Amino acid sequence: MAVALVMAGLAPSMSAQATPGELLPVREITLENGMRLVVLPRQGAPTVSFVSQFNIGGVNERLGTTGIAHLLEHMLFKGTTTIGTRNPDAEAALFREMDAVHDELLSARALGDEAGAAAHAQTIRELEDSARVFVESNEFDRILTRAGAQGLNATTTSESTIYFVELPTNRVELWFALEADRMMNPVFREFYSERDVVIEERRMRVETSPGGALLEAHMAAAFTMHPYGVPVVGYMTDLETLSRRDVESYYRRFYGPNNAVVGIVGDVDPDEIEALANKYLAQIPRGDDPPRVLATEPDQRGERRVTLEWDAEPQLRIGWRVPAGVHDDAPGLAILSTVLTGGRTSRLYRRLVLEDRVATSVFSSLGPGSRFPQLFQINAAPLGPHTTEEVETAVYDEIARIARDGPTENELERVHNQIAASSIRRVQSSLGLALQLVESVSLLGDWRETFRYAEKLRAVSSEDVRRLAAEYLVTSGRTVATLVKRSGS
Amino acid sequence: MSRSIVGLAFLLSLGAALASPPVIEAQAQVGRQATEALVFPELDFRPPEPDEHDVEGVSVLTLEDHTLPLVTIYVRFTGGYARFGRELYAAGTALPSLLRFGGTAQLTPDSVDKALEYYAFQTSFGTGGGSISINLNTLVEHLPSGLDLLAAMLTEPAFDPMEVEVWRGRQVESVARRGDDPGRLAFSEFNHLLYGDHPIGWEMDLADLDPANLSLERFREVHGRVVCRDNLILGLTGDLVWADIESLVDSFVKRVPPCAEPLPPSPIPTIRDEPGVYLIEKDLEQSVIVMAHATDLRLAAEPSYYAATIGNSILGGGGFSSRILARVRTEEGFAYSASSLWTIPREYDGLLGAITRTRPENTVPAVEVILRTMEELRVGAPDPGEIRTAVDRIVNGFVFNFDTPGQIVSRTMFYLAQDLPTDWLERYVEGVQSVTPASVLEAFSRHLRPDEMMILIVGDPDRIGREALSSLGPLTVLEIPVGR
Repeated sequence: MAVALVMAGLAPSMSAQATPGELLPVREITLENGMRLVVLPRQGAPTVSFVSQFNIGGVNERLGTTGIAHLLEHMLFKGTTTIGTRNPDAEAALFREMDAVHDELLSARALGDEAGAAAHAQTIRELEDSARVFVESNEFDRILTRAGAQGLNATTTSESTIYFVELPTNRVELWFALEADRMMNPVFREFYSERDVVIEERRMRVETSPGGALLEAHMAAAFTMHPYGVPVVGYMTDLETLSRRDVESYYRRFYGPNNAVVGIVGDVDPDEIEALANKYLAQIPRGDDPPRVLATEPDQRGERRVTLEWDAEPQLRIGWRVPAGVHDDAPGLAILSTVLTGGRTSRLYRRLVLEDRVATSVFSSLGPGSRFPQLFQINAAPLGPHTTEEVETAVYDEIARIARDGPTENELERVHNQIAASSIRRVQSSLGLALQLVESVSLLGDWRETFRYAEKLRAVSSEDVRRLAAEYLVTSGRTVATLVKRSGS
Repeated sequence: MSRSIVGLAFLLSLGAALASPPVIEAQAQVGRQATEALVFPELDFRPPEPDEHDVEGVSVLTLEDHTLPLVTIYVRFTGGYARFGRELYAAGTALPSLLRFGGTAQLTPDSVDKALEYYAFQTSFGTGGGSISINLNTLVEHLPSGLDLLAAMLTEPAFDPMEVEVWRGRQVESVARRGDDPGRLAFSEFNHLLYGDHPIGWEMDLADLDPANLSLERFREVHGRVVCRDNLILGLTGDLVWADIESLVDSFVKRVPPCAEPLPPSPIPTIRDEPGVYLIEKDLEQSVIVMAHATDLRLAAEPSYYAATIGNSILGGGGFSSRILARVRTEEGFAYSASSLWTIPREYDGLLGAITRTRPENTVPAVEVILRTMEELRVGAPDPGEIRTAVDRIVNGFVFNFDTPGQIVSRTMFYLAQDLPTDWLERYVEGVQSVTPASVLEAFSRHLRPDEMMILIVGDPDRIGREALSSLGPLTVLEIPVGR
């Protein structure tokens, strides 16, 4: 109990007072073109973390062009009209030829003319080789590498595309110059070979990964209308037909500065950052407001089950329909998740792994996104010779218990202690903080909300958790995906 | 209430927000020319250095950092399963987990869990075979309790039989699932292929997991040989002052008994040298490719060591700025990832090779591209611009080695354990700046032999093409039992 009291003192009790996180000296900047920045200066080594988040991801896609947001993420490392090229005009002329041949390739494929399609694919490869003569390969990456950049990368989720890098603080202006250039003048060179790279990424993450394949099957079964059911990496058939023009027009539609939030955390001067933002980023023309996702998932009227056969040992995923991450019930569902699988003393870990020994692992999470109604997910791997059915039975048994009695006060105190400690530990990493601030602005409109969330978690009662388990973790809202070992393998 | 004041203070100390109006400047030019015209000021940075204390013959490193009310304790014991025979492999591998989960003389496993959660301690326990590393992060006021509990966990482990059985069951399951991930299968089999019965080549199997190998006696033996004072190096970072914690650290160290006998030396491996293609047949949509051969370059071989690390960065260790990724991924679209490796140990031979994954039909072409790229560097010096990129990455990124106090202390603990000078990083950064195209060519021409690679492929030979595979060298099919 002493610990809970001590750590509760780090954040004021449930009053209108601001939490310590909310008092961080964050500078908020909104440029005339609608781009928002959050800047947090902090002492330490002379390093700075940059995060650019665009509100575009898998949910903004349609069947036929799945994977386009992720492919576009790859393409934004290919350079601009001046970086990555020796002759942009010559490149552009070849792009037009490639696009025309790709149109012919799609026509041939639609007519079942595989030989014709193969010939067109070969022509595209040759044109791309011709264009490569004018390419300064990976120059964007090389400029940052020489500057001492760390962790240059990006990620695409269901709802956002996030670019990040860390630099020594004397290179701050370099980041602004490069970011403004690639937002205004990107060139989608080496497109078709990069599309092949993404296809290989899908092969690695899905086609040769039992866990990845099961996740894809699970989401597709759980979401029949909402784009959460579509894999962010895209379906193979779509990846094979996406064109350079598809990606370019998608970029024009979704990558306006008004659809972006930038987070900068490190040993920086906010005044200097604001001046640089006005100098470099404010000149980017405002884009259209991207269309909102209107698709909604119809009510689920019964359990759904999907089975995947694979040359691998069994795995299990269970998902229940629950509200979006911004819903009032979301904090309680997060607490429920921690009570069930957060650490060795959690209910499901104790029961499945330590006591009954029917599983080798068990995890839970909310996902695949947070902006729309989502899933409360449990995934587990049975411990042979036990089966997924035995694991399922034990999971449902524990959920019934918590839906009946709720967690004990001790369990809740354990979770609250973990939250209090993590609220301090979470500010240790500059990059981690930048990601949190940006997501908070993107999702909730205010960077402070990420810190207020801890208070909402703290307010969750045992009865809240019981009610949520009883209301949401029900058979009729459940989708179960099971990976079974293929016979003969 | 007092804690909330402290909490506010540390957060506010991160910097001061100034509410000045935005300064509108002229719009900037962007693009290559504008980027090249930027001038960057020198960084005024003096890397923090940890203090070293001697406590009962044990090196204790401390580095103060008062930004958050947290302290992290870093414990490193030299020694692990790699020093002992195969009969201690399972117990040696399990040791860190059982120190964490197996209870103590006074506390059941459940009581340890509850104590850790009660104080909101964050812990990690791990081993790489040659050492055991344990960290415990705590709010500063619980440091005495943290050190006390950690000392009990390390020095009075109970090796609770139920927890041993849980560990064993999960390992047995892991053995059964070994073939599920083709990458894991490829890397473990490649190690086994090259290192044979040396600990680097060991892969846990059901014989290792026989309950007799996980008896209390086995645990006591491996624990007694590793968890003792002569093997210990300690580090502490965070909101601390040495004078305030010295007696606590002294008590902690005294609870760790002196070692009864010195550790046996690490066995020297003999790396197999039989070039060719080794195939594990598996019906896969993507092949996994690992290739390497031995090299006799040593860490102490300056300046060749520096030329080799820069050379590896140019070959395939430097991401998009390296040749293998540029060829295999950017130009050919063969793979999502492709890289080279050049391990340069202190006392025995290392490996020089490459790794990638690609669709079955591109397997042989991808191998050929990698071998060709290697050959080019074996016979021709790299471009000075490539050297500059690889060196600038290290020199300009130097400050990132000091991003957190934990990084600094852990690194220094590693240097002490390896008998490396504590300014080894600074020497390295200086050393790479003397690398030239000629010295990289010298390193590759002396050590790189693309036509002598041992190439392991996990994939579908019917789609890869058996004839094409044979064109790469003598083909050996490996029979690897996986699954139950």
